[in-house]
Amino acid sequence: MPQITLNDLSLKDYNLTGRVSNLKKIYFRAMPEICIERPRLITRFSLENGLFDQERISILDKARLYRYVLENRAPIVRHSRSYEKGMKPFEFKENSLFAGSTTSKFKGVPLYPEFAIALTLWPELWTISKRASNPLHITDAEVKELNYKIFPHWMEHNILEIARKRCFEENWKRYKRKKYAPEIKLFEQLVFFIASKAGCISHTIPEFSRAIKVGLRGIIDEAKEKEAETSDSSQKKFYTAMSEVLEGIIAHSRNLATKAEEMADQEANPTLKKELLDIAKVNRRVPEFPARTFREGLTTVWTCWVAIHTENRNFALSPGRMDQFLYDLYRQDIDNGAIDIRDAIELLCCLWLKIGDHVPTIPDTAEQLFGGTGSNQAITIGGVDKDGNDAVNDLTYVVLRAIELMKLRDPNPNARYYPGINSGDYLRQLCAVNINTGAIPAIHNDKAVIKALTAKGETIEQARDYGVIGCVEPGSNGRSYGHSAAILLNLTSALELTLFNGRHRHTGMDVVISKETGDPTTFTTFEEFKAAFEEQARWLIEQVTTLNNILGRVHQDFYPTPILSALFEGPMEKGKDLIQGGATINSSGATIIGLADVADSLSAIQRVVFEEKLPFPDLLDAIEKNFEGYDALQMRLMNPEKTPKYGNEDQVADANVSWIVELLDRAFGEKMNYRGGHYRVGYWTMTNHAGFGRLMKATPNGRKAGENFTSGITPVSGVTPYLTKALNSVAGLPARCLSSGIALNLKYTPEDGDKEKMLDNFVASVEGYFDDADGQRDGGMEIQFIIADHNTLAKAVEHPEEYSELLVRVSGYTAYFKDLNPQMQKEIIDRTEYRLSTGKMVPFDPFPLPKKRS
Amino acid sequence: MASRLKRSLLHPIPYLFSDRAGLFITKLWSKRLIEELYGKVTDKFLELLLGGMDLAFCLSKGYRKNIKGFEGRYLFTTADHLVAAGATFRDGDMKVHKEAMDDWDICITFKDAAALNAFIFSRDQDILDSLLKNDVELDGNLNYIYKFGFMARDLGHRLGVA
Repeated sequence: MPQITLNDLSLKDYNLTGRVSNLKKIYFRAMPEICIERPRLITRFSLENGLFDQERISILDKARLYRYVLENRAPIVRHSRSYEKGMKPFEFKENSLFAGSTTSKFKGVPLYPEFAIALTLWPELWTISKRASNPLHITDAEVKELNYKIFPHWMEHNILEIARKRCFEENWKRYKRKKYAPEIKLFEQLVFFIASKAGCISHTIPEFSRAIKVGLRGIIDEAKEKEAETSDSSQKKFYTAMSEVLEGIIAHSRNLATKAEEMADQEANPTLKKELLDIAKVNRRVPEFPARTFREGLTTVWTCWVAIHTENRNFALSPGRMDQFLYDLYRQDIDNGAIDIRDAIELLCCLWLKIGDHVPTIPDTAEQLFGGTGSNQAITIGGVDKDGNDAVNDLTYVVLRAIELMKLRDPNPNARYYPGINSGDYLRQLCAVNINTGAIPAIHNDKAVIKALTAKGETIEQARDYGVIGCVEPGSNGRSYGHSAAILLNLTSALELTLFNGRHRHTGMDVVISKETGDPTTFTTFEEFKAAFEEQARWLIEQVTTLNNILGRVHQDFYPTPILSALFEGPMEKGKDLIQGGATINSSGATIIGLADVADSLSAIQRVVFEEKLPFPDLLDAIEKNFEGYDALQMRLMNPEKTPKYGNEDQVADANVSWIVELLDRAFGEKMNYRGGHYRVGYWTMTNHAGFGRLMKATPNGRKAGENFTSGITPVSGVTPYLTKALNSVAGLPARCLSSGIALNLKYTPEDGDKEKMLDNFVASVEGYFDDADGQRDGGMEIQFIIADHNTLAKAVEHPEEYSELLVRVSGYTAYFKDLNPQMQKEIIDRTEYRLSTGKMVPFDPFPLPKKRS
Repeated sequence: MASRLKRSLLHPIPYLFSDRAGLFITKLWSKRLIEELYGKVTDKFLELLLGGMDLAFCLSKGYRKNIKGFEGRYLFTTADHLVAAGATFRDGDMKVHKEAMDDWDICITFKDAAALNAFIFSRDQDILDSLLKNDVELDGNLNYIYKFGFMARDLGHRLGVA
């Protein structure tokens, strides 16, 4: 157990260095630019090597492709040009302590045309740099190259179209129906689910400690030994592929070193010259050989990170427990005086900016529905180690200080806290940083999370070593290939199908979408209604898991992942790529959108229809008419004193929430994924609760058509007046049913008076929520905050330029408020705000939907 | 839509004159399309759009580059099947059909001409609104509609009206 040697845990005497201040300023000034280097190189290689003609792509071909990209991409040591608001070019001097970047741009948007998203940009290529929502810079020459030379080759050769073709063929054989792919059709109807594998898998944490300890050369040597030992031809190919890609990473690092040396030769300023030579020296050493210093360790992580993004789309790949696997190097450098805390913070801040040097591809339509996201690269600090001991160390606090100083969207910081093992001082510091930054880090309850993971078959050691993926999803660090966001299920569609006997108002009432589970107006008991709901939910789960598995098999045939496999626990031992089930732990994740709205709707139906005997047709008529002419009914449905609402320690309401999470855990848990693992369920919604909310009509809980659903696992806004009750309702849910993570989103009023008192109350709210009441309950699993009041957020809508760095937690990930779409901004403003000193909700009037930007 | 005779007369133009001249003629002959892009959309919109594209492919070498080596079959139809049109791209040429075809790469079912216009040309939330209102429904390989969307907007871009 590491000794804490810091005198001041807040490290408040350490601030941004001049270097980092300069870099941060450039970072916020620069607009994202579309980078076509990767698609250019993969298209060229695929054409020259006949990959477009193949029925499936072998791991060896894939490895050669990635090696080619890594060896041929431009080694960029220093960026010097970008575009600012209005897409005006500006020049700058970058002086990061790390070389290289994820793309060829300072802040780039890498394109992955083999997956489903990149080509959606095609229609808007001429206008994307001028669009209202989060514009992306692109040059005319790049537009032309994408249009003529790159995109046409991928029209038939991307995952969704390959899957569609397979479905067509399969269904033709089975049903003699032409062009019939019902699961894909459901996906494209937007309102049922999102099958994210069409976009990527990514969501995972690589294993960096081996690369740091033995270097990539050490891993190559081991792969070669294994390759020589095995007689299995597929294993032989796998090990060869692993060596290929690792040689590619080494080559890229050497190219960076050479470039830095060339630049040093030209550099007159002796300080800058030395910095370039230092970079060259570090990049010549790592990641090929074991890292000897903290800086070399960080460079190993960074260089491998770039390589991983060459292969895997930049969405929710997460670096994991950085304060653990880098701690030995940190301790050694501090102890021998090679660096001090200031140097360590500066290195981390430089790395944060590098990690955040890319944003995902989001087409305009998706921006409007789900916009504002970064790449969601979660880092994890704190918690316990594999043996259950306190793992919080000096580096934990150093990382936390770098998080606090930088206040960035990416990386997305998450802190683990084990009640009773981690210190109270540590929790207090986590809460203080939340107050100071207004939004970060999210705090996870180790006790509940570990319980959830072991319930899914992980060993206690594996569970204790979890890191956070993407938004808030726990996964055993470096050994769990879980695609935690494989499925985003709009649960309110299951409710809709129940209410309308298999029909959906969005797709038209003349079409039976699922199955007819009975006209609900004929049901005589609430149990009958629940049974119909269960059947509809199970039907949706069947459709979406089938599609996920279809897409998974396309991944297996076309998108092996030798780079990620080389940096993971399991593939080396099994001689098998991750996509084929090579990881130690295989699972898939489904996250649920609309839990609170569905639960409250069930409670409303139970109370108002089945207990108080309001005719069901009246309720259906009210929601069909969007409550027009039914004002009194709507008010009654929204009133927690008249209709049970989750988040008030109301037994009826809380029982309905528990019933739903138990049902979904069972129904998903029964399904196997294409890698032989099981599905896990989570409740974090990113911005999908706003997106899906916009698509859905009125619901029985009193919510009107088009209004936002509630985020994550949070109770519905405005109906939970007491903080303690809201926390207790959530903390009472069974952790084993929440194994893919939850996001409980709370908003606290900043209290200007007695800040220590606010901090005391803040800490008490977290402790109370995490408390397992001596085993009577599991305790809340995760909590995340926005510390801002209604007025500040409303002002930020009006004057976004004055709040360019205003950070908020959405529902899982962190975002800049100004980047969010109007619907999502409204959701954040309308989120229940509690004043800690009273423990009560601050009354608010719903904020009008902000105007579209133009 | 250009008749076969008209097409054979038009085809040499880009080889005799500059691309700009070809686009100038396209702009002159696509007045109604341009009007509909800016103003009220009529039931003729789809016909005008396909006709404008067809003409531009004939007259502009630069625009024709969009369909070099491209093969694709598009079916445009309304839900009641009262309007149907097909566009086939093959051998660097575009053919427009007035009848529905069976074998398409993408089928675009739209509520009315305005919905189709909003879906293809409008920026920002109009596309989203089309989808939200179920004004446009797509079947088949969506990449074909993305390419079509680019070509349609590229036409506007080249004619200086986008």
